[in-house]
Formats: sequence, C-alpha cells, structure tokens
Amino acid sequence: MRKFIFIGFVLIVFSGLALAQDFTFPELAGFKKTTDYPVFVPDNLWDFIDGAADTYLAYGFIDLHVAEYKKGKNVIKLEIYRHSDKTLAFGIYSTERSPSFRFMNIGAQGYIADGAINFFKENYYVKIRTYSISEKVLQSAESLALKVASMLRGDSEMPAMLSQFPEIGKKINEETYINESVLGHKFLNKAYKAIYEAGSDNFSIFIMENNSPAEAMKSIETYLAATGMDAVGAGSGRYMLKDGYNGTIFLAWKDNIIVIISGLSKDQSDVADRYTSEILQ
Amino acid sequence: MMKSINRRGFLRTGITGAAGIVAFSPSLVSAVSSDQAENIIYRTLGKTGMKVPVISFGVMKADNPNLCKAAYEKGIKFFDTANGYQNGNNETMLGNLLIDYPRNSFFIATKVGAVGLDKEGKPTSKTTAEDFLTKFNTSLSRLKMDYVDILYVHAVNNPELLEYKPIINAVKKLKKDGKIRFMGFSTHRNEPDVINAAVATDNWDVILTAYNFKHAYINELNSAIKKANEAGIGIVAMKTLAGGFLDKEKTRPVNSTAALKWVLSNTDIHTTVPGMTNFDQLDLNVKLLTDISITEEEKNDIIIASAETGLYCTGCSKCIPACPMNLPVPDLMRAYMYAYGYSDPAMAYSLLGELGTNDNPCNGCNICKVECTKNFNIREKIADISRLVNVPADFLT
Repeated sequence: MRKFIFIGFVLIVFSGLALAQDFTFPELAGFKKTTDYPVFVPDNLWDFIDGAADTYLAYGFIDLHVAEYKKGKNVIKLEIYRHSDKTLAFGIYSTERSPSFRFMNIGAQGYIADGAINFFKENYYVKIRTYSISEKVLQSAESLALKVASMLRGDSEMPAMLSQFPEIGKKINEETYINESVLGHKFLNKAYKAIYEAGSDNFSIFIMENNSPAEAMKSIETYLAATGMDAVGAGSGRYMLKDGYNGTIFLAWKDNIIVIISGLSKDQSDVADRYTSEILQ
Repeated sequence: MMKSINRRGFLRTGITGAAGIVAFSPSLVSAVSSDQAENIIYRTLGKTGMKVPVISFGVMKADNPNLCKAAYEKGIKFFDTANGYQNGNNETMLGNLLIDYPRNSFFIATKVGAVGLDKEGKPTSKTTAEDFLTKFNTSLSRLKMDYVDILYVHAVNNPELLEYKPIINAVKKLKKDGKIRFMGFSTHRNEPDVINAAVATDNWDVILTAYNFKHAYINELNSAIKKANEAGIGIVAMKTLAGGFLDKEKTRPVNSTAALKWVLSNTDIHTTVPGMTNFDQLDLNVKLLTDISITEEEKNDIIIASAETGLYCTGCSKCIPACPMNLPVPDLMRAYMYAYGYSDPAMAYSLLGELGTNDNPCNGCNICKVECTKNFNIREKIADISRLVNVPADFLT
C-alpha cells in the first residue's frame, strides 16, 4: 500500500514540475531581484493579502509567485497570480478594475493607477506596485510589466464572449465575470456582465454560456420554479418575471446561452427584446 | 452559429408565489416581521456602546447590492468592508446603496492597511501617516459618507505596529475630527500576542480577530479576548467558517450554522462578519439573528470538522521542544506541503537537502511526543516526505 502511495507521489512530481517551471522572474536593469517569498497557495493566500483572499479563491486561484526589485530605498513588488483558466483570470481582474483608471496596451488588458500596474493575460493576473513617486521608478515598473507580459505564455486576447454584448449604450471597461451566485442566486453561475446606459435607461445584461442546452434548461427551470412558473419551449424562450430580490427580470435562452437583463421596468420589454435579439441572433 | 430565436417577445409574466426568491419583496419597507425584529439578539460592542446584531455582514465578496439591501431589511445592520476589497469597488458598491438609507440606521466599518511593513508585520521608515490617511480619505469618498463607525488598521499581526506613533496618531486625529467614531484593528496572525498588547494600551475600541473552531491557539486566544472584553474593547469575529470547506476539492462544506453558533457561544464575542454572496446564505444567517443555541448534532459536526487538518503548517514552532530527536518539524511540514500542496517535489527535495535530514529521521524514536496545534500526524508525515531524499536528483530537476 505504501509503495502504491509513493508511486502516486512520484506521479505528482512530474505534474508539479511542469507547473513550477512555467516562468522565471525577469531581470530589471539597475534593480536587484529578490524572490524570498514562499509560493502562496489557497491554504495560505490570506497570509499575503488578508481578507481579500476569499475573492481570489472564488475565481479559481492556484498559486501566487512574488518577487521584489530593489534599488536603494525604492522597491517594486511583482505579484503573479495564476488562476485555473483565462475566464477566471479575467474575472478576478475585472472585480478590481475601475473605468476611471488609465488603461494601457499590455497583456489582454491592463491599467495604471496610483503606483500600481495591473493586467491579465491568459490565466495570469499580474499586479506590480511601487510606493515610490519617482518618475524613473514608475517607468521601470512599466518596463517590468512589459517584460512579464511577454514572458507569460498564452494569447493576449480578451475572452471571446465579451464580443457578444451589444455595443449601443454599453459602459466601456465595466464588464465583469461572475463565477458564483449571479444576482445573488446560488443556482445561477458563470456569467459575463455588462452595464448599460441608454438614454434614461440603466440596466445590466448577463450572458451565461452553459456546457449544454440541458444545463441551461436546468438553470432556467430552477429560476422559473422559484417564481412559481413552469418553463416551456425547451430550446429557446423568453420570460419577464418578478424576482423578489432583484425586481423585474427579463430572461431569455437559446440552446446553451442564457441572457438575463435586470434594471429595466416591466413596461420596457421592447428594450429587453431588442438587446436580447442582438445577442441571441 | 446560433439559429434565429423564436421571436414571441417577453409575453410571459411570472406570478409572485410564496417560496424561494419571492419570499421577500424589495418593495416592502421592512421585510422582517415585528416578532422577529423583537427577538433579534443584540450584543453591545464594548465601550463603543454600539448595539449590534450577533450576525453582521462581511461584504468582501459580495457584488450584488440587492443582497446587502435584503440583509439590511432583514435586520443585519452592520457592514464590514475594506479599502482593498475588489480594489475599492466593494466600498463603492456599498456607498451607492447606503446613500439611500438614514445614516443612523446602520453601522459601517472599513479597513485601511499601513504600507511598507516588513515581512514580520513591523513598521518601517516607509510606513507613513500620509499614505494611510490618503487611503482612508479615498475610502470615505467611495462610501459617500462623512464618517465611518469603525476604522480598522488592517491586518495587524505584530504588536509593534500597535505602538507605532505615526499611524496611531493619524487614527486618533481622524477620531477627533469626527471622520471615524471608533478606532480598531484587524488581526489574522499572532492574534493572542497582538490582542494582549492592545489591552495594555488605552487606544483601541474594537478588535476584529480571526476566530473559528479550527484555530490553532484557541485557549490563548480565548484568554486574550476575555481580557479585551473586560477592558471594554468590542470584539468582532471573522474567518468564522475556517475556509468554508473541509477538503481542497470543496466537496464537503463546513456546517456554517454550527460554526457561527460555536463562535457565538463565547459571549466575549459581540458579533460576527460572515461573508455572504447569495440569498441562501443570507437566509441561513438571518435565522441565527434570533436563535444561536447550538444543537447536539451541530456540536458533533464541529467536533468532526475540527479533526480535519489540511496541509498548511502555521509555523507556530511549539512542536520543536517536544521532539526528542530535535528535528526541524515545521520545516519538514513545509517540505510536505511543497510536495503535496504545491505539487512541487523539486522544492521539497531542495528544502530537505538544506535541512540535511535522512530518509528516516524518526528512526530510533519509538513514541512521538510531538503534539501539533493543527493535529497533524507529525510522525507519519515526516516518514512520508523523508523518503523523497532517496529519489535521484536528476529524477526531479
């Protein structure tokens, strides 16, 4: 039995080695690199980022590698968070993004705010921070960010599903990805969300891509059942319903795609219809 | 490519039923019945005099303001956020929601971290009041409020930070200026020492501490909390669910009701801030507002859950004096975690090489006297990980 366990252990050896060698920290001219932080994993992430860890764990956090670059009193800290896939890396990135930040062309998307450069690429979320206000140090931080972005494997594209959101009225850089409990409901998961301001209307659109039409129907039926309704018309359908917590909801689906619109009043089904049609056409 | 949809429009309208999500309507001014409201269990948060329900709201992961709104309507009136949660978006969401409610109808606490701490949590020359105040003012702006009820210095894990004048004086000035009502700190590590140090000063009104059934030094922590309570310091418990799951695969959730009741069975704890992201969790926690008596079944759940260990060694080092072989037990547990937790045996191998231990370091010791605060089976783990030294290095690197 113990031999068997050890063989299992050796198998872990090889899978672990592949993960651990995904990257090495780049050098930064003029700065001394130190990497004496441990690798943080789900069990001890809170050691590093305290209560914020829970949100990272909800987005498929795997591990965090940290390095510091020092030059005199100036320090640049580099944090590379690895998540289980690109969607979840975008998810955690988007929870911390604000449209007021200065966006830059790095990785799939990144921004600069208050001495921090944050970006995501593929399944990595990268955060670079310095408390220095020296312009040279800030430039070095940008240079480091570019090096890290080119070092990380994978493409530099935003998640493809974001392109499904209609452009008219969409607030730029406010899209998010919600991995669990969309609209606060345990039975609704994995949705991209965009916020709209069209004329005097303010509303949110959620798009959920399920693994199969059957999976989509299960979510739909659970939601409708909670409002006292039966789902009909497997394959596609549109409902307006009263969600006791979230107000009027426009719910539509086709095959494995579910679209939810919240924030419109019950007499605005024409607006909901227009946006839903554009997504599901 | 998707086919065109059946364009019958949104013709169907749901019927408001009696179960599930329609149990509560946002159109109601008060969603909690008068009977229930009368039975909500309040505790007084030390010398602050704040009467808080035993269940408050850890907002950190929540992204739906309607969830916070529902909590408010059901009697949960104390919201806990932080400058860093969701990079500030969490405070912004709360600010946009609570601006519609009378300011004296809820309590809000936020946290601001001191910057430039070293790895032991000690302040350095980079730990300045200016940075701290800038972050606090940003928080206040996001929350759209003139003041917060409690400002916590975030993550105080070293008593030295509690005596660091630039930060202490900055927080005191905020209190004097009316931007905060009460000053506190949160602590995730080394909690007993930090809390005892706080009791020795007259500065702190509230302490937010990690506290759960799996806590490694629960006796020391209980003793420190008791002293703090007797000194008039309000005690708020966080991390009450000990991670929420008993296994890494998240297939075995902690009985959250039992865990919270266990925490609140300590009357030195005044309220708790469980994180909530959905209405099911909210409904479970709302029940606790009026009933925190723990059942035998719930006690058993806690006993069973307490025995689960996980992989992470806290490095408390209490095992070292107990080991007759003088083994570096925490380091060996770290090697074990590298191998099984990080799936990185090369790192474990390297650490074992540095330690210079052999493939059976417990050889010759018949009875293990080491009692791990996390209930690790130390002898078994050491035997397991130490076999790695026999694997050829080329095999691993």
